[in-house]
Amino acid sequence: MRYVKFFLRLLPFLIVGAMLHYWLPQHDVARVTSTEVIRQDFSGINRIFYAQADSGNTEQATRDLRLINTEKQKTWLLGFFPRESRGVMVYRNEDTGWIWPPYFKFDSADLQAEASALISAAGQEQWVVVTHYGWRNRFLSIYPNAVGLRAIDSPDVRIIPWFNIFFFIFAGIAALFIRAAWLQFRERTLDPLFERAGDRMDEVNAGVAERRSRLKRLFGRK
Amino acid sequence: MGFIRLVVILAVVLTVVYWSVSIYSRSLRREALEDAFDEEHPNGGAKGARDAYIANGMAEYETGLRKKLIWLVYVIPVLVVTGILIVTNTN
Repeated sequence: MRYVKFFLRLLPFLIVGAMLHYWLPQHDVARVTSTEVIRQDFSGINRIFYAQADSGNTEQATRDLRLINTEKQKTWLLGFFPRESRGVMVYRNEDTGWIWPPYFKFDSADLQAEASALISAAGQEQWVVVTHYGWRNRFLSIYPNAVGLRAIDSPDVRIIPWFNIFFFIFAGIAALFIRAAWLQFRERTLDPLFERAGDRMDEVNAGVAERRSRLKRLFGRK
Repeated sequence: MGFIRLVVILAVVLTVVYWSVSIYSRSLRREALEDAFDEEHPNGGAKGARDAYIANGMAEYETGLRKKLIWLVYVIPVLVVTGILIVTNTN
C-alpha cells in the first residue's frame, strides 16, 4: 500500500517529465545517409505522435511524410555523454505550424532540401547536428521530428542546450512567482474572509448558546 | 486558421496572466503603503489619515511606471514567438 501511494505521488512528476522529454529540443550528432518520402497511414494510437498537414494544406486521413535517414552518434543520458558506438536513426520532418509544440516550423520542405544537400558517404562523413523533439518507437512507428540541421566539422562537439537552460530557469522563476502570488492572495484576501466568516460563526454560536440557556432557565433545568 | 487559433489562445491565457499579475502587484503596493504608514504612526495617526495616505499612494500607483510594465506580459510572448519563428525557419 505504501508503495502504491508513493507511486501515485510520483505519477504526476513522471507524466510531466515524459512530456518535457518529448517536447523540449534535443541535439544529435549524425550523418545524413538519405532522405525519403513515405505514405503514412495514421492509426488512433500513433496519430498524436505526428503533427498535422503542412501549413496551408488540408488534413487528410493519409498523407506523405518526409523522412531523414541518418547514422547517429549514440549517447548516454539525454545526449550529455557521447559513446563510441553509432546506430541508425530516422527523423520525420513535418511542419509544426502555429500550435503545438511551439516550434513554429514551416520550412520542412527547405529542411528536406538541406538534408539532401548534406548527404555523405561512410569514410568521408559530413557530420551534422540535428535539433529535434519527439521519440523514436518501432512498435508504434513514430519518429522524432527534426527541427533544424547544422553542418559541423568534427563529431566531437560540445553542444550547450541554451533553450533548455533558459526554459528551466524561466519555469523556476514562474513557479516561485505563482507561489508568492498565491501566498499574498491567501494572506490579504482569503484569510480575512475566513476570519470574518469565523466571527460570524462565533456570533451565531453565541446566539444559539444564549437562547439555549434561556430555554433551560425557562424550564428550570440547570 | 491555425494562426487565428494561436492568437485566440494566447489572448485568453495572457489576459488571465495579466489580471493575476496586476492584482498581485496592486496588493503588494497596498501592503507596502500600509506598512509604511504604520511605521511612521505607531499610535495609529489622525482619524482617516491612514485611509487617505493609502488612497493617495494607490492613485499614484495607478498612473505609475510599475503598472505599465505589466503590459510586458503581452509583449514578451509575442517577441518570443517571433524569435522562435525566425530561428526555426532560417536556414
